Amino acid sequence: MNHFLECLKVSKRYVGPTGTVEALHTIDLACDYGSFVCLLGTSGCGKSTLLQLVAGLETPSEGQIIVNGREIDGPSKDLSVVFQDHGLFPWMTVRRNVEFNMKARGTSRAERRARGQELLDLVGLGAFAERYPHELSGGMRQRAGIARALTTAPKLLLMDEPFAALDAQTRADLQDELLQIWRRHTTTILFVTHNIDEAVLLADRVVVFSPRPGRIKTIVEIGLPRPRDPRSAGFAALVDGLRDEIGQKPAGLA
Amino acid sequence: MPEPTRLLGLLPILLLLLLWQITAAAGIYSAVLLPPPLEVARAFANEPGTLLAHALASVTRVAIGLALAALSAIPLGFLIGRYRLLDRLTDWSIQMFRAVPPIALIPLALLLFGIGDRPAIALIFLAAFWPLLINTIFGVRSIELTLIKVARAARASEWLIFRDIVLPGAMPAILTGMRLAIGGGWLTVVTAEMIAVRSGLGYLILNAQMTFRSDLIIAGIIIIGIIGLAADQGIRLLREQLCRWQEGLTAAPR
Repeated sequence: MNHFLECLKVSKRYVGPTGTVEALHTIDLACDYGSFVCLLGTSGCGKSTLLQLVAGLETPSEGQIIVNGREIDGPSKDLSVVFQDHGLFPWMTVRRNVEFNMKARGTSRAERRARGQELLDLVGLGAFAERYPHELSGGMRQRAGIARALTTAPKLLLMDEPFAALDAQTRADLQDELLQIWRRHTTTILFVTHNIDEAVLLADRVVVFSPRPGRIKTIVEIGLPRPRDPRSAGFAALVDGLRDEIGQKPAGLA
Repeated sequence: MPEPTRLLGLLPILLLLLLWQITAAAGIYSAVLLPPPLEVARAFANEPGTLLAHALASVTRVAIGLALAALSAIPLGFLIGRYRLLDRLTDWSIQMFRAVPPIALIPLALLLFGIGDRPAIALIFLAAFWPLLINTIFGVRSIELTLIKVARAARASEWLIFRDIVLPGAMPAILTGMRLAIGGGWLTVVTAEMIAVRSGLGYLILNAQMTFRSDLIIAGIIIIGIIGLAADQGIRLLREQLCRWQEGLTAAPR
């Protein structure tokens, strides 16, 4: 058992006013260090819940999650989270936002400044450091969110539908940049999406979820060489196969 | 369109002065009851010391009452806003007590504190306490849950979450509460001074009525108005300093 991330029989139940809802049902999942894993499924299938559990923001009702040999019992030093709606603090400049995760760890001011600038430059926001988030475009905000997550050099990067709210062109650009970042800074990525094309473009492995209760339906290895061409026959075949798996019609939500 | 100048705010005031002058000159009321503007100006010139002393007495009472209210209501609001148990515990009481106009408590305040500064300050405290408390609670509640999650995922301490997220996030609402508190406190001080104290603008006005000094009545009213305006401008400046990030985010005209 030397996987970097392991979920062992993880279940999550919520007790609500209408009774108990089982969000996740005995999830078993193992990811190697440096791999890019996509959690794919329709909304309500529990894929985001699993991410919250791995992030240590919620606790499993049953089972264990192990990251880097330690059981998760709260937010871990080894990982960072990128949230769907960027999660930037509106009252902080982009720079202060990007420096926040380091501040939370007690990094010195000088080091925060240097490392923050480095990451801002990496995502192309060097000139926008003193702006407030609302003064930026959606794509730039998500870049800032990614930069903030990377400042602590996480071994595991959790991304919760980070590009879902972006237009097609911006999303394609950011997917490309994310792959470059992933290649250059060896890190494990757990990436939640409901977009099949996105999963096939990015992942080494796609974990397909089915809803009510959320569980893993199948795991598909994406053997395509990188960089991947979405217009290739192999790509289309994988997309079609996954579409059948999650029972999504071609004209349905993408 | 060019930005309209702030001085435009003087126009309605000048028109009112003009109307006052015309009414006084028309002789509908005798000059003893409604003196013309010039005579009131003379009252300002002849008795600046008296007017200033009364104004200072009122402002001091409001300042003390407000400060006490802010020191107790804002921290309490943070706690109630953050902890559900405290909310359940206090909600009914808050809704019940805030519905009681402080003026209705003047007789009780007189019985308990006698004549003097203490009943007046106690009433101002109550007038300012509820809007500050309710707005602080609202401000804390209105902070997006994602932002708290971002901070928790980054392993931020409770203190950092308070200082960098809860406090700035609730600040706009707290300043709204401050604005309402100043209005309520100011309203209460004038009323309380008419009954419970022998100094201040409320006392000045009531005393002037008994001595047929309508010029002093109007002078007192003008001072009340000017101080009200100054306090409001002060809050506006404070908001510009503390909530600069909101510029361009809200529909509020600047």
